[in-house]
Order: sequence, then C-alpha cells, then structure tokens
Amino acid sequence: MNYAVKRFIQLIPILFGITFLSFLLMYLAGSDAVTEMYTNRGVEVAQEIIDEKKAALGLNLPFLQQYLNWLWGMFHGNMGVSYVTGEDVLGAFMKKLPATLLLTALSIAMTVVISLPCGILAAVRHDKIADIVLRFGSFLGNAMPNFFVGMLLMEFLGIQLGILPVISSGTDIKSAIMPTLTLAIAMSAKYLRQVRSTVLEELNKDYVLGARARGISAQVILWKNVMKASMLTIMTLLALSIGSLLGGTAIIESIFMWDGVGKLAVDAINMRDYPIIQAYVMWMAIIYVFVNLVADLLYHHLDPRIRLGVNAK
Amino acid sequence: MKWKKLLALGLGVCLSVGVLTGCGNDTAGKGNGEKVLTIGDTTFNSSNEEPDVNPHNAYAGWACIRYGIGETLIKYSDNMEIQPWLAVKWENVDPLTWKFTLRDGVNFSSGRAMDAAAVKQCLEHLIANNKRAAQDLKIASIEANGQELIIKTKEPKPALLNYLGDPYGCIIDVDAGFDKGIVAGTGPYIAVDMKTDDHLTLKKNENYWGGTPKLDKLTIRTITDGNTLSNALQSGEVQAAYGMAYESYPLFRNDKYTISQIATSRCFFGKMNFDPDSVCSDPAVRQAISMGIDKENFVAKLLDGNGFPANGVFPAGPAFGGDKVKAEKFDPEGAKKVLEAAGWVDTDGDGIREKNGKKLIVKWLTYPSRQELPLLAESAQATLKDIGMQVEVNCTADNNQAVKDVKGWDVYAMANVQAPTGDPEYWFTVFATGNATKNQGKYQSAKLDALEAQLSQEFDPAKRAQLALEMQQVVLDDHAFVFCSFLKMSMISKANVKNYTSHACDYYQVTADLDLE
Repeated sequence: MNYAVKRFIQLIPILFGITFLSFLLMYLAGSDAVTEMYTNRGVEVAQEIIDEKKAALGLNLPFLQQYLNWLWGMFHGNMGVSYVTGEDVLGAFMKKLPATLLLTALSIAMTVVISLPCGILAAVRHDKIADIVLRFGSFLGNAMPNFFVGMLLMEFLGIQLGILPVISSGTDIKSAIMPTLTLAIAMSAKYLRQVRSTVLEELNKDYVLGARARGISAQVILWKNVMKASMLTIMTLLALSIGSLLGGTAIIESIFMWDGVGKLAVDAINMRDYPIIQAYVMWMAIIYVFVNLVADLLYHHLDPRIRLGVNAK
Repeated sequence: MKWKKLLALGLGVCLSVGVLTGCGNDTAGKGNGEKVLTIGDTTFNSSNEEPDVNPHNAYAGWACIRYGIGETLIKYSDNMEIQPWLAVKWENVDPLTWKFTLRDGVNFSSGRAMDAAAVKQCLEHLIANNKRAAQDLKIASIEANGQELIIKTKEPKPALLNYLGDPYGCIIDVDAGFDKGIVAGTGPYIAVDMKTDDHLTLKKNENYWGGTPKLDKLTIRTITDGNTLSNALQSGEVQAAYGMAYESYPLFRNDKYTISQIATSRCFFGKMNFDPDSVCSDPAVRQAISMGIDKENFVAKLLDGNGFPANGVFPAGPAFGGDKVKAEKFDPEGAKKVLEAAGWVDTDGDGIREKNGKKLIVKWLTYPSRQELPLLAESAQATLKDIGMQVEVNCTADNNQAVKDVKGWDVYAMANVQAPTGDPEYWFTVFATGNATKNQGKYQSAKLDALEAQLSQEFDPAKRAQLALEMQQVVLDDHAFVFCSFLKMSMISKANVKNYTSHACDYYQVTADLDLE
C-alpha cells in the first residue's frame, strides 16, 4: 500500500514537468488558436478583432502567466474551455473518452486473437515454413507505420471490396472494424515475436524435456505447462500495450474519423488549442504512470524475489 | 480428421466474409424513392470557425450559405458582380441611405414570411453579435415597412451591397432561435440535425420560393484528412467532395467523376519589404524579383495546373481584374540587365551578385499551412538563383510573429482572398495604403493614398472599377508586390451527381438544382 502511495506522489512532479514542457513546446512552435483560425479562413481580419479575441482567451499574456493561469484553474478543478469551440475541456474530453476506450478494448482483444495463436504456432514450428512466414509477416507489420496500414486497409476493404466503411459513422461495430484491425496489425506484429520467444524459451527448458521423456503428449506439455509458465510475461506485455494504445490511437482516430480523444488531440494540436492539448498530455501521463504502477505492483505481488529484495532494503 | 478442420476453416472464412459483406455501406442513391446525397467536406469544422450553421457566429455563415440553408439580400455573379436575390431592387437615396425592396412570397423554413421587419430583426441581431459584420457594415439604423427596408449607415459605405452578400448576411428568422447552432433560413434546404465537427443533415424545403429542390436529403460529412476524403469518394460513402488535396486529383480524372473548377480570388503573392536595410528597398531588386519568378511554370508544374498565373491583384472576371493592368512578365535576361544597371554584379564568380560588398540575398518568409506557399518558395528559389539572387526561405507557422521583425525578411509570401465580397477596396486598405492594417513592409505611395481617398467616396461601380485599376497599376509600377497565381477551386463528384458546380466566390455550393441521377 505504501508503495502504491509513494508512486502516486511521484506522479505529481511528473505531471508538473510534462504539462509545463508541452505548454512550452506549443508556445515555441509559434502561432496561437486565434491566428490559426483566421489564417485557415484566408481572409484578413481587422487587427482589433484579433487582439480582442486573444485578450479574451488570455493569449496576449506572457507565456509563464498563461501557464500559471492554466495551473491555477487546474488546482481549482477547472481545466478551462477550448479556445476553438468554447466547450468545457473536461466535458469535451469525457464525451469522447468512451470511443477511445472502446477502440482500445477491441484492438487489444484482436491483438490477442492474432498474436497468441500465431506466436505459439511460430514457436512450435520453430524454423519451419510456418515460423518463417509468420516472422516475415511480423517484420512487415513492424516496418509499416500504422497510418499506412490504415490506408492499405481502406484501399482493399473499403474501395476495392466495398465491404467496410472508410469513415466512421459513430461507435458501431462496422465502423470499428477497420481502425481496430489497423491498430491490431501493428500491435500483433510486435507481440507475435514476443509470444514466440517466450514460448520458445519455455519449450527449451529441462522440465519440457523431462515431460517428453516421460511420454507426456506434446499438446498437454504445451497447453498445461508451457502456456501456464509463459502467461505472466504475455499478460504483462499486453497490460503495457493498453497504455500505448490508449495514448497512441490519435492518428488512426483522425484517419478513420473515429470520434475519440485521439482525434480531439490531433485537431487541438493543429489549432494550438492549449487547454485541450494539456488535458490530453495529462491523460497520457496518468495512463503511463498508472499502467507502469499496475505492472510493478503485479510483479511485486507475484514474484517473491522482488518482494524480498524490497524488504531486505 | 483433417477434412473436418478444413471444413471448419472454410465455414469460418465464409461467415467472416458474410458478416463483413453485411457491413457494406453505400449511403448514395434513391432508396425508398428518395434522392439522398452525402458531401464530404474538409472545411466544415470549428477549426475554420464554422462550428455550426448560425451565420451570426464567427464564420459559420459560410456553412449556412454553402449548404443551401440561408440566402443573402444580394448575390454575386460568376464575375463577382452584384445581382438581386432576396432583395429585388435597391436605391442609394443619399451617401448614407439605402432603400431595398424585398422579394415577395418568400418564407423562412420556420413558416414566417420574409418581410422587412424580419430582415431588420436579423441584421440588428447580426451587428450586435458579429464584430466583423458590425465593422464592415457600419449600420446606424434600420427602418422596416412591409417589403421596404431602409438602411442608414454611420459613414458613406459605397461597398455596403457587397458586404451584404457576405455569408454573415444570410437572412434568418431570429425568432425561430439558434438551438444547437441550427437556424431557419429561406434556402432550398432545411438543417434538421447537426453535430459539430462531424455532420450536418438537411432535408428539402418543400416551400422553397425558387422551385422544388431536387434532392430529398443531404448530409454534409466533416472529414479532416484529405486522403480519407479521397478514399470515401472512391468507396461511394460520399458522392461529392470539397477540399480535396491536389495529389488526389489524378484519381478522379476519368469518366466516373466530374471535376468542376473555377478561378477564385484566392491569390498567392509576395509583398516586398521597404525597410532601408532590406535588399528590396532597392527598386531594381524588386523589379528583378517581379521579372524573375516563372509564374506559368509554377502553376503548370508545381501546382499541376491547379491554378492560374496572376497578373495583377485580382483575377480575370471582374471589371477591375485580369490583364487590364500591365505587370512584369517572366524575363530572366531582362532581370539580369536591370540588376547590372543598378550595380548588382557577381564579382567573385559564385553565381550570386554583390553591390558595395553586400551579397544579393533575399530572405523569403512564408508559412506551411497553405500547401502552395512552400512550393512557391522553392520555385522562386530556383528561378531567382538563375538571375544571381540567393533566396533563403523561412517557412514557419510563426509567420505572424516573424513578419513583425522588419529586419528578418525581404519578401513575405502569403495567400489571401483578394475580393471576398467582389469589391476591390478591401485589398488596398488591408495591404497597400499607407495606413493599411497589414502593410508590414511599410510601402508608401502618396498617389495610391490619394486614389484610395477617392475610392472610399465613390458609389458608381464603373468608376470604382476604374479607380481600382489605376491603384493596381501604381502598386505594380512600384513593384511593391509580386502576384504569382490564383487558386483554381475544384469540387469533385460522382458522374451521376449533377450541378455540383464551383463558383468564383466559393459560397453557393448546394443549390436547388443539385441533383442525383
């Protein structure tokens, strides 16, 4: 319990640092929400209208004061309003969060469905055709950025075959299939290799040799012994992938018009909408710290060696 | 046992394909006898200040007029000349007073009749809620009497009619309210559902004064990514697209699609810096830059034909546009002679000219948010090098800050809609006159300022056009600006979509004639 509290306390300076850095980087990148909006329109607007709007949003203040104003609002439970839409940031964020959570859950489920059997097959058929083909597929999947995979899927499933929509029309299943596949292909390419190496490592252990010598069938050894031993590593990897997926769906959401927090963040970055960007940065930081904490706690709980090491100190 | 596994696998594949096929989605067509069309649009979003269709809210009037919800008192022809619309005639009683006669038999989609009282209420609400409109229109008071509307301005406003055609001038029923950003206009379509940054659903206005609209239902889908828009048009999820990226155009140059293109007044141009420390303070350098940019090649090669080479401030079409003014032509040899005569000579043989020990280096400031501008910078860099100028490009999103530092740039290349309301005065007062708001290069011309003083008081359109031509010639003779190209606006649709036509002012996208065969 003390360990968890300590980790949560560590989160405070991380959040300070990360929100300050993101605010600074956006500031250094130049421009601001008001300028971006008027530039997009392409018609020059009277300077006094621009100045008035900037003043209303506090964008005319020095950088540090802008950051401190935002921070002061945060301490009072007020994440501010979007510079672009005027919507309450927390409300806008929470409204779009379920779509991102759904996409993440579906992507993880599909990653498991693809990478687990393929990884096991590659390990069992070590250096055989199936292993070589799967490893090649994994290389390919790792080499392609996920937006490119998304474009390929749009081309084949959306345009050539015409069986899936290329733009989402809500959070229904048919709209979810293509973004889910896109994310799952990239994740599976990574995890397939990790599952393969974990299972392979177990298969090479002495107890497997002993079991074989005792005449136990290969199926029983694989599913009752090897998989059981490999599961801890595999589950840890998947748990960590939740973090990267929750924070890493931004581009895919934008491409498929999936109305989640990732798309919200990409739009906000383009428009220099600081309050939304800050909310997204905080969300990312909290996810990563939380997921790492859960993984640490799991290890702490499951592996006596870590527990003993901590106690010995 | 093996055949059982194969059978199971085969069944699984069939099931998956069946499920996916069931997911197929074609939103186009005439199902249930209804004509339904979906348009994908990259610009209908809050980032463009179009969060809804309320014309009194920021730039949302563009959506109101584009999607056939609202109409203005006057409209612009393809040549950006003023034509009657909700107002059938008007009269300039004195420099401060305008009398309009409104069209009879027009109702708002709310059912209310469009009379002078409704228009008065709408315009008063507009100037109370939209600062840009209040500043443009300078309305002092409005009187309503049946179908007769009298507008009094605070100062002489020769361009009042032009400003009333701006999308913010859409006439809406204020009493019908602004619930969720939806308004009741007089146009061929009625907004029924809207989600900001996602979609807008419209149904036909059965009582439209201009005839029955051809489509029953229309959906505008906001699509932010250009590639996704291209894919959605190819897959048939949208049947028409606005805001397609240039690189996707070749996919649609075939019989299955129609591309409607027109020259707009969105111009890509460079403004020169007259600061004494800038190389552009030398008239010879400014003239050589004007002669050294290959506009034809820039449009043909780098823009792949998606533009028109510019001559003066305004495109061909209006009485004050096109080649009615005389500008420098691309002439590298002539440019070299101009520079040599002014003492700019390459003494050290490195290909860059010098004068009094100073290299002829041109600091070219531009920004990346318009895809054409970095290309223009590259083009200028290449062709100006041939005449002995070294162009150093600073392409930054922080251009608005960078341009304030007059020592940091020599040419500022930008994009701007030159005549958004069809009137020429706006451009000069924003960019060129001595007290222009965006004259960051500090260009000064007593002759230009005197002509602007005349223009601001001139009500006769023909005389205004003549003054605008004279003013352009002053600017061009001083080589204070170099106008490179105008945007060719394109709208792409499936071949069975009819009358989805580009218009010079970019406002009238959805009309009662838009149809699906």
